[in-house]
Amino acid sequence: MLTHGTAQASGGRLLVYLHIAVKQRAFQSLLQSGLPGITTTTVGRIGDFERVLQQGQDAVLTLPMVLGAQKLSPSLRGHRGGSAEEAYALVGNGSAPDPRRVSSVGTLDVLGRDGTNSFARRMVGPQARVERVTKVEDLLPLLQMQRVDAVLLPARLVSELQATSRLPLVQRELDSRVGLPAAAGVGPAGASVISAIGRLPRDVSRLLGVDEWR
Amino acid sequence: MALTRREFLLGFPIGAGAVLACQSSGVGTSAKDAYTELRRSKPSRPSGQSILVCMPETEQTEQVWTGLSDELGEKFELIAVRVDGKDSGATIAHGLEKHRPSGLVLMNNPTVAAYRSVQRQAGKGSFPPAVIVMSSFLEGHRDRPAAATGISYEVPLITVVTNLRKLIASRIERVGVIQREPLAGFVNRQAALAQLEQTAVIRETVGSDPNPSEIKRALRKLKHQVDALWVLNDDRLLSPHLIMDGWLPGLNERPWVPTIVGAASLVSPGQSFGTFAVLPDHTALGVQAANLMYDIADNDWTVPGVEDTQLPLSTTTTVDLTQVLERFALRNGALAQVDRILER
Repeated sequence: MLTHGTAQASGGRLLVYLHIAVKQRAFQSLLQSGLPGITTTTVGRIGDFERVLQQGQDAVLTLPMVLGAQKLSPSLRGHRGGSAEEAYALVGNGSAPDPRRVSSVGTLDVLGRDGTNSFARRMVGPQARVERVTKVEDLLPLLQMQRVDAVLLPARLVSELQATSRLPLVQRELDSRVGLPAAAGVGPAGASVISAIGRLPRDVSRLLGVDEWR
Repeated sequence: MALTRREFLLGFPIGAGAVLACQSSGVGTSAKDAYTELRRSKPSRPSGQSILVCMPETEQTEQVWTGLSDELGEKFELIAVRVDGKDSGATIAHGLEKHRPSGLVLMNNPTVAAYRSVQRQAGKGSFPPAVIVMSSFLEGHRDRPAAATGISYEVPLITVVTNLRKLIASRIERVGVIQREPLAGFVNRQAALAQLEQTAVIRETVGSDPNPSEIKRALRKLKHQVDALWVLNDDRLLSPHLIMDGWLPGLNERPWVPTIVGAASLVSPGQSFGTFAVLPDHTALGVQAANLMYDIADNDWTVPGVEDTQLPLSTTTTVDLTQVLERFALRNGALAQVDRILER
């Protein structure tokens, strides 16, 4: 099974690779209703993203760092509060983690082993051993099972993490910022698919951390 | 899809240790075993090292392979060899001889048993480090092969409780479990971990070979004390006879208590056994095993911390929506946190 889901339609093909706080089944359903006429495929792992991309798509929606790794340029960027970037935070159990003293950090696997390790070390420092997970919900077990000192995630997702646990989870916002989801055309119907992304319902865009597309 | 009780039992892979996919292989013999390579991945950045993956052919093992090969396939040559049962030692030995791998991945209990027999027959020879996946109750297993580590197949109770609290509107503070004495140590370790999430575990111990009345009695006692039930994947507790005459009657009388199981086949609308199944995400399990293999490679191909095994990090949740709607209240948006919804 390569993909979490594909919504069949005829107005172009969109591949979505983003980590959000709901299951891919629910995400797929939201996109399906928010992008009528577009065949949407959602994936949660970089390996699946690369495989489905090779099969032929018209547009992709993912983080700018993933587009960069694929040598693609965004033609539509998500913004929140006027910025195309967002804050990331480190979350620890019991106290706010000091990035310089974190010896192990858990993070979402966005770019595969080498790329994600480089990204996480750029955010917290080269001393950190990196544990990668494939879903937002899998970050909490890393803390519960004491596999890492802290987890790294977009600051907007911290309250979701805290709401699912009774551990005293404490965050420290980091100085570095990371690009919000963006879209790039990769096929003949790319422009029309990207235009449809720009009209996504507000609640779906918010789920992606976006309040405006430009 | 509603199943009759007979269909439900037929669909449940019971029998001689066959509770989970980890035990689902048929019996093979060394004489009949043909050495078969199922898959082979060529690395794009070759290190000159190979990893032998010993696995039966099932939907779940294929998913684990996907996770493994996506992660390891870039640097190592991965060779998947079909292993069908605990008597397939000759197949594994042939694979070791042919490929001289730097590491091994062993999928499921019969494969581990087969590899143990290879090690026993070889005496004091040295073996490549092995990562075990899909093997039940791996943690604390006394008879693990030499130079092996792995990931337990059981989803930790702390994860089960965290998932349940996202779904059920009522408070989940106390979780009841029926256990046999041999699994008391496992339950104790799980209870200690679950305490971090302020969860108390109430245990009811039954005999080593319990009868349906014991199960019913234990359920009646527990259901008055707990907010949820956690059913262990213990094949001695989940025989067709015990399910039919112990579990099902015991669970289908008031008070209703949400019941968490570790086998998808135990969630079936119309039978009202498990309310939710929380299972390992097999592709993510492959990724986790690959990371363990990278740790081993970084440690000069030796297993770091021989006694350590990991718990699965990533899970999938299945819900019997029919049962939930009849008996419990869901949180707002709960179904967005579920991978698979079953209803009559």
